[in-house]
Amino acid sequence: MFKYVKHLNYPINIKKKDLKMAKYLLTQFGGANGELAASLRYFSQKFSMPDEKGKSLLNDIATEELGHCEMICTMVHQLTENATIEELKAAGLGSMYTEHGKGIYPSDSFGNPFTVTYFAVTGDVLADLSEDMAAEQKARATYENLINMTDDQDVIGILLFLRQREIVHFNRFKELYDYYKKKGY
Amino acid sequence: MLFDNTDFDYEISFLKIPGSDFNKEIRDSKFLSPEEGFLRGNLMKDEYVPYKNLTYFKLTPQNEQETLLLKLMAYSFTINDLNLYLDLNPKDQQTYELFKKYVKEKNRLEEMYSEKYGPMTITETQGSNYNWIMDPWPWDNTGGSMYV
Repeated sequence: MFKYVKHLNYPINIKKKDLKMAKYLLTQFGGANGELAASLRYFSQKFSMPDEKGKSLLNDIATEELGHCEMICTMVHQLTENATIEELKAAGLGSMYTEHGKGIYPSDSFGNPFTVTYFAVTGDVLADLSEDMAAEQKARATYENLINMTDDQDVIGILLFLRQREIVHFNRFKELYDYYKKKGY
Repeated sequence: MLFDNTDFDYEISFLKIPGSDFNKEIRDSKFLSPEEGFLRGNLMKDEYVPYKNLTYFKLTPQNEQETLLLKLMAYSFTINDLNLYLDLNPKDQQTYELFKKYVKEKNRLEEMYSEKYGPMTITETQGSNYNWIMDPWPWDNTGGSMYV
């Protein structure tokens, strides 16, 4: 069961409209290394975790990642909210607007829709956790690429926070991986 | 504005509990204070890896509501990071005591916040009207977490 809490994981108040950045950022919602894939990956994998440590950690990180989906979507929403159709067209978002208006559709920065083929569920604890560790590193790298794409401090501050979460999650997954490896899985 | 991680001043921390040994406690711990951990996005003292020369934002609340919301978010973040740590270290009694202390403080702040400004969760029903639906929602740019 899930409960909603009516605040974000980290404050977001973007003052400057930036449509190109919104287009790039969208990938951290619906792209291969994005938060939606992360959340669904851990959520799906938790069912085959063999003990209390694995079950709780995957469940809790999956939940946190859903909060990060909300953060990314909030950024995209705030960056595009007051855009005119002409501005959207000029920023390369004309096709996006045609398909989705100003709705936030889970896709990557090219507009490719989200797909569950971005992640695997093998039922093998070491295989799944290795993927989770790689996923956290890929998300960290993507956040760094995104940071390099903007000079808006309102955006950078949030990306630095989210990047740091990838580092923490990687460390927890690695600890769990090492623990299972030692247990002989 | 972005500032260097050597700049952090525990004495002016908005989460400093007056008259307590809070600063000493934090210095001796493997965890950062809720405020600094929250700003960094990482509560673990020895796991923080900054990107290039960029560290983190200092957030400055402008009024009572902003201050309360920021504190609440910082405690909520801290509880989450300790939650992940405790999942893997459930027998670490000292950290569990710290966790309980922060949960208590978060609950106190949340009750205070929801009484004054509306519910954070659906079961907070201090007001006489059903005000769960009330704007701003967290993603709105006209309220919610915009204050900080």
